[in-house]
Amino acid sequence: MPKVTINDHVYEAEKGKTIIQVADEVGVQIPRYCYHPDIGVEGSCRMCLVEVEKAPKLVPSCATPIADGMVIRTTTERVNQAVRYAMEFLLLHHPIDCPVCDQSGECWLQDYYMSYAGHDSRYPLGEKTRRRKAYNLGPEVKLDQERCILCTRCVRFTRNVTHTNEIQVFNRGHKAEIGIFEDAPLTNPYSMNVVDVCPVGALTSADFRFKVRAWFLQGTTSVCAGCSTGCNLRVDHSARAVGGGIPGYTATDGKIYRTVGRRNIEVNKSWLCDEGRLSFHTMERWPRLVGATVTGQPKNTNEALTFAHSQFETIRQQSGDAAVAALGSATNTNEALFLLKRYFRGRVDFRLGRETETYQTMQDDLLRRLDKHPNTQGAIDLGLAGLGDLKSICERAERKEIRAVWISFHPQLVGSDSDETLKDLQRLIAAVEFSVVSTTHDFDWARKATVILPMAGWAEERGTYTNYAGRVQITNRAITPPAGALPLHVMIVEMLKLSNVQVTSDPSAIFDWLGRDVALYSALDYDSIGLLGAVPAGRTAETTEVLR
Amino acid sequence: MKPVKGGYAVEVPVINVSERARQEQSSVLSTFKAFGVTFRRMITSLFKGDMPTISYPEEQRPYSERFRGTHILTVRDDGSLKCVACYMCATICPAECIYIEAGEHPNPEIEKFPERFDIDMMRCIYCGFCVDACPEEAIVMSREHHQAVYDRSETIYTIEKLMQRSGIYAKGPGYRPNIPFAEAKIFDPEKNKVCSIPSGVEERHPAVLYESMINKRH
Repeated sequence: MPKVTINDHVYEAEKGKTIIQVADEVGVQIPRYCYHPDIGVEGSCRMCLVEVEKAPKLVPSCATPIADGMVIRTTTERVNQAVRYAMEFLLLHHPIDCPVCDQSGECWLQDYYMSYAGHDSRYPLGEKTRRRKAYNLGPEVKLDQERCILCTRCVRFTRNVTHTNEIQVFNRGHKAEIGIFEDAPLTNPYSMNVVDVCPVGALTSADFRFKVRAWFLQGTTSVCAGCSTGCNLRVDHSARAVGGGIPGYTATDGKIYRTVGRRNIEVNKSWLCDEGRLSFHTMERWPRLVGATVTGQPKNTNEALTFAHSQFETIRQQSGDAAVAALGSATNTNEALFLLKRYFRGRVDFRLGRETETYQTMQDDLLRRLDKHPNTQGAIDLGLAGLGDLKSICERAERKEIRAVWISFHPQLVGSDSDETLKDLQRLIAAVEFSVVSTTHDFDWARKATVILPMAGWAEERGTYTNYAGRVQITNRAITPPAGALPLHVMIVEMLKLSNVQVTSDPSAIFDWLGRDVALYSALDYDSIGLLGAVPAGRTAETTEVLR
Repeated sequence: MKPVKGGYAVEVPVINVSERARQEQSSVLSTFKAFGVTFRRMITSLFKGDMPTISYPEEQRPYSERFRGTHILTVRDDGSLKCVACYMCATICPAECIYIEAGEHPNPEIEKFPERFDIDMMRCIYCGFCVDACPEEAIVMSREHHQAVYDRSETIYTIEKLMQRSGIYAKGPGYRPNIPFAEAKIFDPEKNKVCSIPSGVEERHPAVLYESMINKRH
């Protein structure tokens, strides 16, 4: 392996890598606009210039492969000066409209200006070139041509990643600008990734635009629950109370404002599909459940759980264990499903439709999968696919083999649950003597249930999902569930306590218990899963890497 | 000049009152002397018009140009709101009393405007940081400080109230970074009839009324 020296430190690096890749790996910071690890090299921004010994000129580190014995310096005066001049050219016609720019606060122009440039503009503000502002590239993305620095990351994204080629550079020289052909707007299902890759405020998301300033947001690492792919993402939610006691603004609840792709080469590289990215809006589609009800009467959650437990126990004593069953959801976490399995003594299933058949099938050739549940593989690993799917549970309930049922329902975050499923659920509730529905929203079909419990939804609880390839990933609690709503695993912990099993409600401790029960997960814990997830050692890797 | 006790950098004349107090205490005559002072003040204020008091609130003293009263949202020449909803004031506000909701402005040159701009005046500490932070001179302070209300909800000032309250134009602005105003001005109910508050038609929100400007650009 070739040895290179970066800033007087010697590193060993793989042959064929570029200087910037090695620098990123070892943690040396090189400024860049056009280079993106998942899009490729362009070499147009001239920000990543570094000094290489014996090279006559500065070299662009994104496009220069390393060679044995290369001596690289990134902090010399010559490099800093080059970056400063590059910045001055990039900012020459910049409108400096940071106060109204959505990127402000996380803008690379701001960052590099403060760390490298710091110059005054030689161009008077009134004489700068004016270009089109707030121009719709597609339904989800807006373009501001004044702020664009022509790094062509977005162009290369549509060229290299989605292969749809909507965004192009039009004209040449000082008239060059990013645009689309009028009859071909940016409508591909991955269009909003161009907002993520844009290092400046040129491309903004129509959904997030002007909602909140970036510095009011707090990021929580999480996993998308939109489909079985389990893309890594960051949930940006409100972190600071602004507005004091002004009515209509609740400072404590927290609100998700956007989700941003988080780089995980094994799962989603840096990308998210638009449906998944906007899936957090699904939680706002219906009114949330705010309190437990028992036969229509409002009760507090503990009373409702005690009542449910006594009913389950009575029915178990009358007709045996088989008369009590539970229907989980493949959007529940592994921890919750495991406890559910414990409480219902294995008589648990999670299949509402054809999840198990479709969870590995691609919807397109990039990320999306047909099964819109994040944890189907996890439920299969827990051995929950044994009792029978919704339809067969329904039939058994109608034959009075099943007399009491707990239904945990989380709405599909992408798309909507089929009417057939909802009808079957309604049928099931009508068929059994005693039904408990723990769900997130106030659904019409659930109103007939004996006990209705408000449940925390995605991003409101901590737990693990297992994606289509068996990778176990942590989803974190970003926001507080509405008052009264509890995560499913907390509710089941209460139920287990009533049946004299003492369990902690800490998800990582429950996962340890799960590991002792499910051999596949025995070597994993929350620390080893970490930010990027982990594939259990015993799993045979059947799935192939389909990402481009 | 050397600093004296108490931290003053200038020489402060020291008056020794204890001596005078002892003298006045020691005689009955000082009582009548005091009556004399009172009588003399009475004569001057009754007949010579030298009155130190005013009949507040009908009559009010002028306040300083740097007085930090309740805020004013300033307007452009056409009477539309100057604010671009950049949240600088909400960010700097130590009392966290400013709540803004931004919207897409019909004019792409302006881009952004506040659909909602509320200040919780009970929470505000009148520090004037919002005025300093504002990049557009869109928020200034006034010389008005009347906060008596019948209901707490009235202390939350909305755009309409921040833009125009009775008498605010006549009194003029209070604390502001540039004296005189460089770009903005206070909404004048006489001149800017198109944005008169409260607007009769609901969708003619004062902040959206850029008709002249929008028509020019499209």
